[in-house]
Amino acid sequence: MPTAAIALSSVRKVYGDGPAATVALDGVDLAIAAGRFVSLIGPSGCGKSTLLRLVAGLEPADRGTVAVHGVTPDEACAAKLIGFVPQAPALLPWLSVLRNVTLPQKINRGAARQRARIEGLAARDSGPPDMRELLRKVGLGDALEKLPSQLSGGMRQRAAIVRAFGLRPDVLLMDEPFSALDEFTRESLQDQLLELWGEGSTTVLFVTHNIAEAVRLSDTVVVMAAGPGRIVESVDIGLPRPRGQQVFAERGFHEYEDLIREKLRGAWRSPDAA
Amino acid sequence: MPRSLPLAWIRPAFWLPLAVLLAIFGGLWQWGAHAMPYFLPPLPSVFSALSGHLSYYAHNAGITLGEAVIGLGLAFVVAFALAVLMSEAPVARRAVLPVAVVLNVTPLVAIAPPLVVAFGFGPAPKIIITSLICFFPILINTTAGLRSVPVPMLQVYQTMKASRLELLVHLRVPSALPYLFAALRIVAPLSIIGAVVAELSASGSVGGLGSVISVASSMNELAVVYAAIFVLAVMGVLLMLVITLAERQALRWHES
Repeated sequence: MPTAAIALSSVRKVYGDGPAATVALDGVDLAIAAGRFVSLIGPSGCGKSTLLRLVAGLEPADRGTVAVHGVTPDEACAAKLIGFVPQAPALLPWLSVLRNVTLPQKINRGAARQRARIEGLAARDSGPPDMRELLRKVGLGDALEKLPSQLSGGMRQRAAIVRAFGLRPDVLLMDEPFSALDEFTRESLQDQLLELWGEGSTTVLFVTHNIAEAVRLSDTVVVMAAGPGRIVESVDIGLPRPRGQQVFAERGFHEYEDLIREKLRGAWRSPDAA
Repeated sequence: MPRSLPLAWIRPAFWLPLAVLLAIFGGLWQWGAHAMPYFLPPLPSVFSALSGHLSYYAHNAGITLGEAVIGLGLAFVVAFALAVLMSEAPVARRAVLPVAVVLNVTPLVAIAPPLVVAFGFGPAPKIIITSLICFFPILINTTAGLRSVPVPMLQVYQTMKASRLELLVHLRVPSALPYLFAALRIVAPLSIIGAVVAELSASGSVGGLGSVISVASSMNELAVVYAAIFVLAVMGVLLMLVITLAERQALRWHES
């Protein structure tokens, strides 16, 4: 069996000490095969963002193991396997859009050597992608030289997504990237995300609290519950791709939505029952 | 809007209030100079003192400005280096910060006389005083600026395993620039104060507007004193202007 792109086993994460301690995650097992699009969905406080930060190597797990392509998150970062898109676009306000998305290529130049040491990764053709072309593809062709402050929220988040894809990450981690956007912008960014994703072999872990978004984007939706944060169920989404905006009108789509809403409601109730 | 400023000055609504205030002030001054000749010199005599010896004032202004700018530059280099050290190493912050705070609450102009005793009438004590005065605001603002990078921005680059040097150069220093310019706006007038006070306390020094003032007051040449003060004011305005222009150039991306 090939190494999973993302693998968590018996992961526990606690914030704080003593009686004030909160168990953010407990007993979390998750394996994601390379190239899959997986969403984490659940109520606030269920630890979905914490899980993402553990995979990103931004925080260590207190117990259990987290692996990205068989290595630790830290080693994965050193090899630039990971692209990270936070909720706020987090572009550098003093750089133009083009320079914002090309800066990562100047950072950590030793990453390719690190990547070569990791087994089982998809081979890469040489050279970084054409960032102008990527920006044009998401409709930012006229904004190459603009500063982030001159863009709308949706355009900024597009640039942040292009910045992450510019790394050609093996694993793309997205933390509620569209939650601050209006409905129409959100749907058009979903289109562009799917288009960019469809061109590579990137594994995506996508945190959201929007059911429709999770169903439309994902191969698998992982439902989480709070108190302590844990995985309740994984639902495979059997809808055919490509999933354009017409998918919203399909019956199958709504059946999946209802199914996940039901699981979420169950997850919401279970702490009381326990 | 700063860009419309030059045009706006054509309209009387812009310059009239200032002109009226200056006229009232000039009138009061002239009245005061007439009533108390030992307190204030008449404005025309200040003007003639200035225009008759322009090169004299320019020469002394150059000396004072040189001390102020070199002192400020020195403070900038040391404070910036320390701020980087403090933002990278908490140990350094715990060591340096208390010293810096004590330095800040001490009226530093008071060390001017002993410094003159120690270093003589040359430029050294003036430059030292100026740097000491400018040091603290630059240190504090730069430290705050280097630490002002938003967490998500840091996280994006941490997941690429950016080195501390890369984070410093690409994220922290640019983030600190607005803070740095705010500090410069504070210390630019302070630098002139520092240089002048040091010159005043080193009576008999080689030059500078502070010495001009000190010598002229002792000889009751009020017109010369006020001419020198006027030149100092102009110098301060010019210094601020240079900083504002540099800021506008460097911080075009910044909202303010």
